[in-house]
Formats: sequence, C-alpha cells, structure tokens
Amino acid sequence: MSVGFWEIFALLLLVGTGLAVVRLQNAVHAALALIANFLVVAGLYVALEARFVAMIQIIVYAGAIVVLFLFVIMLLSAANANVGQDLLPRLPWVAGLGALGLAGVLTFAVTRFQPPAEVPALGGGLPQALGPLLYDPEKWLYALLAVGFLLLVATVAAVVLIEPERIIAATSHPAHPHPAEPRSPDAAQKDERVVTKR
Amino acid sequence: MIWLIASALLFSIGAYGVLTRRTAILMFLSIELMLNAAALSLISFSKLLGSLDAQVVVLFIIAIAAAEVAVGLGLIVAIFRRRETTSVDELRQLRG
Repeated sequence: MSVGFWEIFALLLLVGTGLAVVRLQNAVHAALALIANFLVVAGLYVALEARFVAMIQIIVYAGAIVVLFLFVIMLLSAANANVGQDLLPRLPWVAGLGALGLAGVLTFAVTRFQPPAEVPALGGGLPQALGPLLYDPEKWLYALLAVGFLLLVATVAAVVLIEPERIIAATSHPAHPHPAEPRSPDAAQKDERVVTKR
Repeated sequence: MIWLIASALLFSIGAYGVLTRRTAILMFLSIELMLNAAALSLISFSKLLGSLDAQVVVLFIIAIAAAEVAVGLGLIVAIFRRRETTSVDELRQLRG
C-alpha cells in the first residue's frame, strides 16, 4: 500500500497530539491536547469510510467526555492544575523503554496481518447501513440493550459516589429528607421556638 | 495498514502516560488515549476486511468509555473530598 504525503502528515499529527497529552505538565493543556487528538482520529475515521462513527466520536468523545474531564479538573484542582512533580520521579526511562517495546511488538503483530484480496464496499459507514446491524436481534441488539443498561447503572453510580452519606441518610429516614445538610440558622430558630412553645 | 501501525503507536503512548503520570485524572486521560487507539485499529480492520460490524463495536467502545469516565470521575471527586489529593502515590490504603 502506498504511503502518501497526507498519511505521513496525519500520522505525525496523531503521534504529536498523543505525546502532548502524556507530556504536558498543565492538566488543562493535556485535556485540550486530547481534544485535538480525538479530532485527528475523527478525520481518520472519515477517511476510512466510518462517517457515522466519526460524528459520534466528535459529539461524544471530543464534546461530552473531554468537557467532563475539563469540568472536573477545574472543579478540583484549578489551583494545583500545574502539577510540577506529576511525572514519575523514579525510572522514567524504564517506562519509556517499556512503551517502545510495546510499540515494537504491536507493530510486528499488525504487520503480520494479510488483508484479503477482495473486500466488499463499506458504503461510507452511514447510519442507514449501521442501523439495521445495530437493531438486528441476531447481530447486536442485545449488546445495545446491555450497553444502555450499563450507561444507566454508571449514571446512578456517579450520583451515589458523590454524596454517599446524604443519600443513605435520605433513603433511611424518609421523614427527614436531608439530615446531613448543615441547617440554616432560621431552621434552628424555628426548632427552638417549637421547643419553647411546648 | 499504516493506520494499524498508527494505532499501535497511539496505544503505546497511552501506556507510557499511564505508567508515568501520578495524578488520577491524567492517568484517565491516558486510558482514553488507549481506548481511542483500540477503536482506531477496529476501524482500520473494518476498512481492510470490508465489514461494518467493527464500526458497531466502536460505537459500543465509545459508550463504555462514557460510562467509565462518569464512574471514574465520580470516584476521583469523592476521593478528593475526603483526602484533598488525586495523586495515586498518596492513596495507599489498598496497598495493604
């Protein structure tokens, strides 16, 4: 297969943005580099006849997921987003050599692959072609339902993880919905009034 | 074929990030990179074999990544509220 100018260009962009994600010291900058990497990959998807997946990649990955990352980075550690001693202090060369070895093994493995001589056309990977596969009970329908259930469970789990004490308290004492919440002075005064009336 | 090699490189970069980063959020960013590399290799195989099934699997990968990020970032926020840190070197309770 011939390797043209734009393939080399896209490969350099891909590796460059990936290295930026793992090497940039500022967490916000790393997340922005991740957006760039996702956009490059989405462009590759279009070139590889997967247009619907490219659209989902931009909307879900580069849109929703990275925005969630940025939101949490800014919520938690805007002051210490610049993590100076973030990189591993000991043996960084071992990690680098391990990654290089992994790259070598994976490249060796994928270059063993011999594509068949004749392949059917993908038709651009449009939703009209993907939809019937996705909703076919003999293909992917049950996997789709399982993924939907997984997303529901993950959403509930994320909500529960943030405030476990409040949720346990609210569900075990229905008469007092939010006992863990700090009470406002007005509410305390009202309680005192009730007590004095008695 | 070059995109299979590109996805191998991207996966190795993500692995390097997971090994060298010490902040949980940045390790998550590197894991996203590795998931993305796996998806890219699936799309390359879809093109090489002329099969749309791999593209459906990539849609599932994206959905599972979204679920993982929701739970993972919830965990990080919960840990940060309790311990005031997201550095995995300072979270040693599970080390025994």
